[in-house]
Amino acid sequence: MFESETATPRQWVLELESEYRFEVEAGSSCAITLVKGRAEVFGAELVEGKPYVFGSECKAAIFTWLGCTIEMTLRKLHGSPVPEGEPEGSTEPPRVLILGPENSGKTTVCKILVNYAVRSGQGWAPMLVNVDPSEGGWAVPGALSAAAISGPIATCSTANPLGSAATSAPTTLASNALLPFAYWYGHDDTKKNSLLMDRLIRNLGMHIDDRLGNDPEGRTAGVIVDTPSSFASGPGATTEHRQKLIKACIDAFQINVILVVGHEKLNVEMQRAYGSRLTVVKIPKSGGVVELDRSYRERVHNYQVHNYFYGEVIAPPPGVKSATQGGETLTDLNLAPSSTAVNFSDLKIYRIGAETMAPSSALPIGAARVVSEMQPVAVDPSQPGSGLLNAILAILAPFHTDERERYDEEILDLNVIGFVVVTNLDIAHKKMTILSPTQGSLVGRTALIGSLEWQE
Amino acid sequence: MSLYQNYYAQPSYGSQTYTQPPPVANGYHHPLTPPQAAYSVDPATFRRDFSARLSQLTVNSRPIIQGLSMYAHDYVRFAEIVAQCLEAHIRAVPPWVKLPSFYLLDMISKNIFEPYARLFSTFVIPLFLETYQQVDEATRSKMVELVLTWRTGSPTGKELFGVPAQVQIERSIWGETSSSSASSHPSSGFIAKAQVLSELEFTLGQKERAVQANPSDATSQNHVHVLQQLRRLIEAGVSQDELKQILSQLRTLMRSNPPSTASQPPQVSNTPVPSQWPSQPYTAPQSYPQTPSYPYAAYPSSKTENTVSSSSASVPPPSVATVPAGGFADLLSSLVKSGVLSNTGTPLGAGATAKEDTLHSINEEQEASRTYRSFVLRHPIQLSTAGITRGRPPIAETLYDHLTSQCKQCGIRFSDSVTGKKVMEEHLDMHFKQNMKANLNVGRGHSRSWYTGIDDWVHDTVDRKGKGRADGSRPLSGKAAAAADAAKRDAELRAQFVVVPPGDEAKPISCPICKETLKSEFLEDDEEWVWRNAVKKDERIYHATCRAEALTNTLASRLLNTGRSRSVTPETQVLPSKKASPSPESLVGVKRKAEDIDSTLSQLEGTPPSKKLAIAS
Repeated sequence: MFESETATPRQWVLELESEYRFEVEAGSSCAITLVKGRAEVFGAELVEGKPYVFGSECKAAIFTWLGCTIEMTLRKLHGSPVPEGEPEGSTEPPRVLILGPENSGKTTVCKILVNYAVRSGQGWAPMLVNVDPSEGGWAVPGALSAAAISGPIATCSTANPLGSAATSAPTTLASNALLPFAYWYGHDDTKKNSLLMDRLIRNLGMHIDDRLGNDPEGRTAGVIVDTPSSFASGPGATTEHRQKLIKACIDAFQINVILVVGHEKLNVEMQRAYGSRLTVVKIPKSGGVVELDRSYRERVHNYQVHNYFYGEVIAPPPGVKSATQGGETLTDLNLAPSSTAVNFSDLKIYRIGAETMAPSSALPIGAARVVSEMQPVAVDPSQPGSGLLNAILAILAPFHTDERERYDEEILDLNVIGFVVVTNLDIAHKKMTILSPTQGSLVGRTALIGSLEWQE
Repeated sequence: MSLYQNYYAQPSYGSQTYTQPPPVANGYHHPLTPPQAAYSVDPATFRRDFSARLSQLTVNSRPIIQGLSMYAHDYVRFAEIVAQCLEAHIRAVPPWVKLPSFYLLDMISKNIFEPYARLFSTFVIPLFLETYQQVDEATRSKMVELVLTWRTGSPTGKELFGVPAQVQIERSIWGETSSSSASSHPSSGFIAKAQVLSELEFTLGQKERAVQANPSDATSQNHVHVLQQLRRLIEAGVSQDELKQILSQLRTLMRSNPPSTASQPPQVSNTPVPSQWPSQPYTAPQSYPQTPSYPYAAYPSSKTENTVSSSSASVPPPSVATVPAGGFADLLSSLVKSGVLSNTGTPLGAGATAKEDTLHSINEEQEASRTYRSFVLRHPIQLSTAGITRGRPPIAETLYDHLTSQCKQCGIRFSDSVTGKKVMEEHLDMHFKQNMKANLNVGRGHSRSWYTGIDDWVHDTVDRKGKGRADGSRPLSGKAAAAADAAKRDAELRAQFVVVPPGDEAKPISCPICKETLKSEFLEDDEEWVWRNAVKKDERIYHATCRAEALTNTLASRLLNTGRSRSVTPETQVLPSKKASPSPESLVGVKRKAEDIDSTLSQLEGTPPSKKLAIAS
């Protein structure tokens, strides 16, 4: 929405413990200023008098414990008081798994928990783990990742819902320069290759455990795990699959609290399965949660990939000056990726398992799979139908330097150092054009392809 | 500086001073040579000439600045025109050439003072602050140094442009702090760590230059040491009170600092030097560290003791040392009193002090987290669905009353405790640095960084509390730190050299460990041939790096002890590198031992030692 004249700001007085919910329309932005009182967005406190801009179809809420006055430039919706509850409090550091169906606000719950932990003033930096491959986290959709969060995560856009991975730009907030650790699953659906999911979750857990072993203080801050909605519900046939992955998470991250967001059946299920050895708590689904459709999620994927390469600058509404975008005063948040042509032979590309794969259970009885789900298959870019054009590739960390430490499936356990997109394939000259987040040669690297694509 | 002494000592300096007039662009007559200048007295001509010469001042060149300063001195009657031209010039030129003009302004005001300082003071505040906004970080720190010299810049040791001007400038630079330089004791109020640090850096810089100029000056060396120690302390974080103490002591010190002319090379008579001026840049505080007090010596009216210490320029340190020693003794004793420095030992006990300090703060932190824990656990909230929806903890108290101060930039809150204040201070410092960086980086392309590897990620735990990334750079992981350490050690080793005995320049000599020839090199400064990366031990020359490597290996140290049996004479023939020549049986036993070491080392490291070092660096 483009408005020629300066939009007139509107003021709202929020009662104590109420929130102001809003949605930003595609292509527009809004700016909210805390005029008086105290307020926060999903646990990250706002500074009085500073306009905060929101964009990329962001759906968020300004909450106040004590009441406040806010001023909004542009758009929409009404506030309704909704009480919120905060858990936590045990002798053991909390290691929380958040489960819930689609559109229940799982990611938001994670964010609120992390923000309150950070806010305690105790120097805690909880480990936030994202095992939802349909959510980009600090990477792009298709990845599983973890990062220690030492500062509040701001909300300003759907493009970076959990803060932002480090760039070369100087940033104000610690959560906009995170150092995530990521694996590439490559699909947004957890059912596509649940064996791989299982393995990556366990790998992630192992390395987090290694890290926290070195860092008692980090361990104290706890672990918070966001999960995909497919863990919570699905057709009956997938129950086994769900339970396996939940089990993997509980083992890998040594979970001691399960929070079930607004799903009675799942709560009962979890109580029955784990209630004896860990705490299962059901928390009500917030009335503010917005139902999202498939096309919205697709657009969000696009924003996230675009944000990974190009960063994001939200144009503030007309008349709003010196606004802050997710806590950053910097207006120079544009990133410059690099586009280079490489030879086919420069990059070894693999796909895990065959391209289109029916679940094992769907195969005729007695039929064995030709290519196993976990087998790396080399992708030949010169073959038509390689699926490389517009594909998102994950660039893997190098293989073990010591030949003797290598093993057949090592490629499955390599973490991701970054993502590239194949923007052009020139089969005749055996060259492809690659969009890479930063300069630097990729010759000799190994990459994994998944089923995710992106086009500018 | 010698020039200035001449300049004042010799009121009738002649045209020699102008033997090097800056070239006039248009070649339009030669108004700049003094004889002519002396005749052309009309203000318009002077204005034109002065502006023309001023326009030459686009780089930091001492001759130009000095020339202009003298020109201004000669035509004091046109002081107003000088002031107007200078102001217009500074306003007109692009930011990166403003600093030299400020140096000129500084030199004129300090050395001529009346009426220039008075005239300049009418515009110097806005001009300085405006410029400060426009320039880059490096220039800013230079400008801050300049401002610091202004505190004592007047002939009487007072503020060069008056107290209000000084205060206003300092406030604008460091924010609403108590930079009242009117009294040497800062009034109460918040003192930014950055401010104290930059003042300390300034004093330290002066002292370091003094040491450089006169390495035998033990007093200054000691001062440098104390100041460095102080800097570490401040960087580690000290309380407001301590900062205040340090600041006031530093200022007293800077005031009482006698002309450090002692640090300058001995005065060379009255011979005018203009034609030999090296065209070195004029860097205000660096090249005349004694500026603050210089006018003391220059003005006949100033106190005798200062003149004495100034004229005792070439006298070795002890006589000069007295005054600053007093200052430093005060500094130290008062710091000891306030508990900033440990009083257990000499000022050299920095390590112990820092340790104590850390211990202290660790205790404080523990105390704070204990308090927090008991506060939080006081509220019985069940971790159950009913418990968390029904329980109503005192939210406002937890979130706001316990954490009273909020960062105005990002909204993070801090407690009011000593630790909390310290953390907040660090946090604000971090913002300050990041903002500086952001301003510097505007328009430069940024990009998403690659993620870290497993090892770095697993060991990257310094990040906690955002302390690690205070400067925006990634905290060094254990591995990276080790590599950096190795690189540093290697660089140090490589910097070592042995002077080649006269006559041996052409003789090839090889390192007994790696068998490679030592490369000789001519050192310009010392005018000597030396072997780089070399150490002499028991009459034999080794590569410093090889020896260090060998010493860490017991096998090798055994060789070094037995190695005496070998010819001491440098080998006249270079052996091919060991890889190329499989050690033949004919090699003497000791040699084979050397081979063993090499191969042991290379087995250990995977690569030959020299290569490994190259990689490490």
